[in-house]
Order: sequence, then structure tokens, then C-alpha cells
Amino acid sequence: MMSARVGLSSVTRRVAFAPIIGRNQIALRTVIPKRGVQIQSLPSSASEEILNAQRLKRPSSPHFTIYQPQLTWLSSIANRATGGALSALLYGFSLAYLVAPGTFDSAHIVEFVAGLPDYVKYTGKIILAAPFTFHFWNGLRHLSWDTGKFLSLKGAYRAGYAVLGATAVSTVALVLM
Amino acid sequence: MASSTLLRSTLPRTFASATGRNVLRSALQGTDELNLAYSSLISRSKARASSTAQYVPGGPIIKGTVNDPVEFPPPSRTHGSYHWAFERLLAASLVPMTAAAFVTSGSSYPVFDGLLGLSLVMHSHIGFDSMIVDYVHKRKFPILGPILSWTLRTATVGVLVGVYQFNTNDIGLTELIAKVWTA
Amino acid sequence: MQVLAKTARASALRSCMRSFASAALEKPVLNKEFKIYRWNPDEPAKKPTLQSYTIDLNQTGPMVLDALIKIKNEVDPTLTFRRSCREGICGSCAMNIDGQNTLACLCRIDRNPAKNSKIYPLPHMYIVKDLVPDLTLFYKQYKSIKPYLQNDNLPEQGEYLQTQEDRKKLDGLYECILCACCSTSCPSYWWNQDEYLGPATLMQAYRWIADSRDSYGAQRKEQLQNEMSMYRCHTIFNCARTCPKGLNPAEAIAKIKLELAAD
Repeated sequence: MMSARVGLSSVTRRVAFAPIIGRNQIALRTVIPKRGVQIQSLPSSASEEILNAQRLKRPSSPHFTIYQPQLTWLSSIANRATGGALSALLYGFSLAYLVAPGTFDSAHIVEFVAGLPDYVKYTGKIILAAPFTFHFWNGLRHLSWDTGKFLSLKGAYRAGYAVLGATAVSTVALVLM
Repeated sequence: MASSTLLRSTLPRTFASATGRNVLRSALQGTDELNLAYSSLISRSKARASSTAQYVPGGPIIKGTVNDPVEFPPPSRTHGSYHWAFERLLAASLVPMTAAAFVTSGSSYPVFDGLLGLSLVMHSHIGFDSMIVDYVHKRKFPILGPILSWTLRTATVGVLVGVYQFNTNDIGLTELIAKVWTA
Repeated sequence: MQVLAKTARASALRSCMRSFASAALEKPVLNKEFKIYRWNPDEPAKKPTLQSYTIDLNQTGPMVLDALIKIKNEVDPTLTFRRSCREGICGSCAMNIDGQNTLACLCRIDRNPAKNSKIYPLPHMYIVKDLVPDLTLFYKQYKSIKPYLQNDNLPEQGEYLQTQEDRKKLDGLYECILCACCSTSCPSYWWNQDEYLGPATLMQAYRWIADSRDSYGAQRKEQLQNEMSMYRCHTIFNCARTCPKGLNPAEAIAKIKLELAAD
């Protein structure tokens, strides 16, 4: 079994074949031309090298491109993406203020936003409110898991749908504020 | 070189005793011929794998033999349960802190605004850091990983200074959000 | 006279049954396409491909494994996959069927002929051939958590005893068959499987931490006190969603985390 796994099967088959040739040498030599393959015995440790040579050629099977979209991992990656985006905004603004406090002070920003047309304001609010509320509610879902709640598969799914609903409602509420 | 790596895995552990040295040397000479024959046998299929089959984290080559269990890194609670618990407590405290900061944002004592700024930055730092550990860990990305880690650390320090200055010299984060939202 | 009537009735019955049987054999053809991941180590330069096979579902058993065996028997003997028990207890035939990791022997064929069925090996694993992934690392990880009873205080006589409540704590943990469906469904395991143990191994780690007869709980927990071995779990729940045995590794890991935090 081991030999088959590491690719020694052809070698062992040849070895097994050898005594048959030996037994009927005279009869067979006329029928079968002499085989040009040299038989070599390998140390058992050679298996590891053969195996590693094979391992290096192995492809890695596809993963997220073929995996079924499920609430479980989609809400998880969405949590990370929304958190990352909001944090990037915080980092970006703070660093910008640190570098150029005259340009990025509150008066300038408020003045800039006030000058935007209404539809841009509302779109901007949605773009900010939706990730924030999702990350907020899903963060609560994570915290309740970490305290031992909703840990059944059903519970996790119910909490997940609740997060989606709460996100929708609170996004609308925040945008209308 | 090939023979020595081969030997290490073939010799039973008893051979590794102090008296085993001579045995090892003679075994090494004995197996040299075998190795020669063997390498000529598999040279067709890009052999001499022993020199190329280096362990790469996450790669197809596996550390140790099939029967060795994987090894654990040295235990460290700072990187383990303390980090985990701190992360959760911090995240949980953000909820009341945000509420408190918005309630008190107009007052002349915006303590919660400053606390919220600090906590948000720490929360963000931990989040970014776990992304680096997940996707560009230094064991797989020996150059990019540390670069990103240190970029994150310097950025976080800069952000902390920026938030502090904005909260002291300007109106503070919560009031800015409130004003922009209704602008 | 009576005997004659009896034999006549019996032969009529027999012919009637025969016509039933032939009617049952003449089921309509229900062709379905299976697209199966293929890679041959003898031609390593060739990229892995999806190969299409169409078989008649009415001449096939109900499960995906039946379809695979039919393809191997009748269409393409080079198709390679692991299988053994065909009843969901050996864990050999774990694979990704229509985007979900499951056991082929427990997965019913979707009988909608309009939709093809895609069969891949377990995700993000090195492939030995076709649907056969290399599980060496998975087993090495399982071994590392010492999946056996450790206790220095032998009972004075007989076996280690356990209350019924303590025994109940092991339900939902010991049933794991180590098919690797959960671990290979976990994105964290995809990115960091060389360091992160993965849901299957971690649930077994908890199975021994939770066992009242084991006295090495502290050491078992201490091993997990690092950044990678367990704390790469972000409670994604793919593991519990995909487990073909209906177990919940996510819950087990959450309980380990709670116990470590309480230490």
C-alpha cells in the first residue's frame, strides 16, 4: 500500500516479475526480448524523496471561487470589509489632519459638505451608515457568540438575518436623521 | 548531502547514541552506492529532490514525517487569551462609550470623546493587525509582512496624535460627525 | 379440476408480475451532467480541468457517490476518488459537491436535469489525484492534540468512572469522523493551515478538555495559548454549516475560548 502511495508500484511490479523470467529463462528468452531496464533496490528512505518530488507538483484545489455563497462566511468577510473601510476612513482623516490641520479642520469640512447637492449628501450618508450599522450589529452578534449565545447553527443564522434586518432599518433611520 | 538527509530519516533512534557514530559512518559509506543508483534512476523526473524540497510555510512539503505531530509555538497568553479577552472587552465598551460621547459632545468636558477616539483607534489597530496576521503573515511574506506591520504601527501612532490634536485644538470627532451629518 | 384452476390462476399472476417488472425497467431516461475536477499526477504539467460526464439518473443510485461509482465503472475507469463505507461513517468520500463540502455517500443527487452538478475535491488542499486531497497535515494536526485519555491517577480498580452529566458533555463531540469537511470549509484554515489547527482538530481538542476523566486539561489548554493554533478562528461558522454529521465545531471552539479567558 505504502509503495503504491509513493509511486514505487512500477518498481515493485518489475521486481515481482523478475523471478518468473528467471524460472523459465530458456523458454522465455526466445519469446520475449531481454528487458533493458536495470532493477535497483531502493533504501526505504527513498520513499520520502519520491513523495516530496510528487508533492512539489501537486496543484492546490480551488476554494472561495467555487464555495457556495453562504450567510456564514459572507457576513464574516463583510464584517471585516466594513470594519476595515471605516477604520481606513478614521486613519485617513486623522493623518490628514495631522499633516495639514489648516485644510482638514472641522470648519472647512462642514463647509465643504454643506455645499454638496442633496443627492450626493444622501448617497454619502448611505455609504457611511450602511457599513457602520452592519459592523455594529454584526459586532454584537460576534460578542454574543463569544459569551456563549446563539452558538447553534440555527441561532447563528437567526442572528445573521436579524443583523441584516437591523442594518436595513437603522441605515434608513440614520440617513433620515 | 543527499545521503546524510536520507540517513537521518532511516536510522533508528538507537543508532543516534554516542556509540552509534561508527555505525553511522560505515552505513553512510555503504549507502553511497545505493544513492548513486537511486539518483540516476529518478534523475529523469527532476530528481535530487532533497536539495529542492525545502519546507515553505503553507507549501506542499510538510515538516517532519507523516507520523510526527505538528508542533505548537511557545505558549504566550499575551498573544492568546489576554489578547482575545482585551479585544472583546474593548469592542463591547465601544457601545456605551459611543452613546456617552454623543450625549456629552456639546458640553465643555468632552472626556468621552477623547476616550472614544483612543478606543476606536485601538479597535482599528487590532482589526488591521489581525488582517495582516491572516493574509500577509511574516512567515509567508518575510519582507512584506514586517513592512506592513511597522507601517501599521507608525500609522497608529500618527493617528493617535492626530486624534488628540483634533480633539484638543478642534471640535472633536463626535461633534464633527454630528455636524457633517446635518450639514 | 380444482388443481387446474389453481395453476391457471398462478400463471396469470406470474405473467402479470412480469409485465410489472418490465414496466419498472423501462423508466424514462433522465440524463444529468456531472462536471468533475480532474488532475493526473502522471501529467503534472497539465492544468486541472473540469471533465463532463452525463449519466442516466434512473439507472443510478440516489447518492452522488453512486453516480461517481457508476461513472468509474461504466464510463471512465481513470476517475479517482476515495470511498469506503458508503454510509457516512468512514469519512473517506468527503468532497465539495455543488459548492458545499459534504460526504458523497450522504449527498442526494439533485434530480433537476437542467442543472449540472459540479464536483471538486476539498477546497484549498494539495491534490494527489482527481478528487483525492493530501490529508497528511490534517492527520498530523489531529495527532498533535493528543487525542487519547491522559490521566496519571489510575483508578484503584476497574475503569475511570464518570457521571451521566459529565458523559453528556461529550455528546456532539465524539461523533466526529474526521472527514475534514469542516476544516477545509474554513477560510482561516485556507489561509493559515500550516499553523492554524482548524475546526475538526480543535473540536477534538475540546472533546478531551471537556472529558472529566482526563487530567491534562491545563496542559491541553496551555498549548492553544498562542496567536495561531486556535485564535485564527473568527467564528465564521462555515464548519457547523457544512458538517455532514450535524456537529458544531464553531460552538466547541467558542467554549475553548471562554475557558481560556476564564483561566
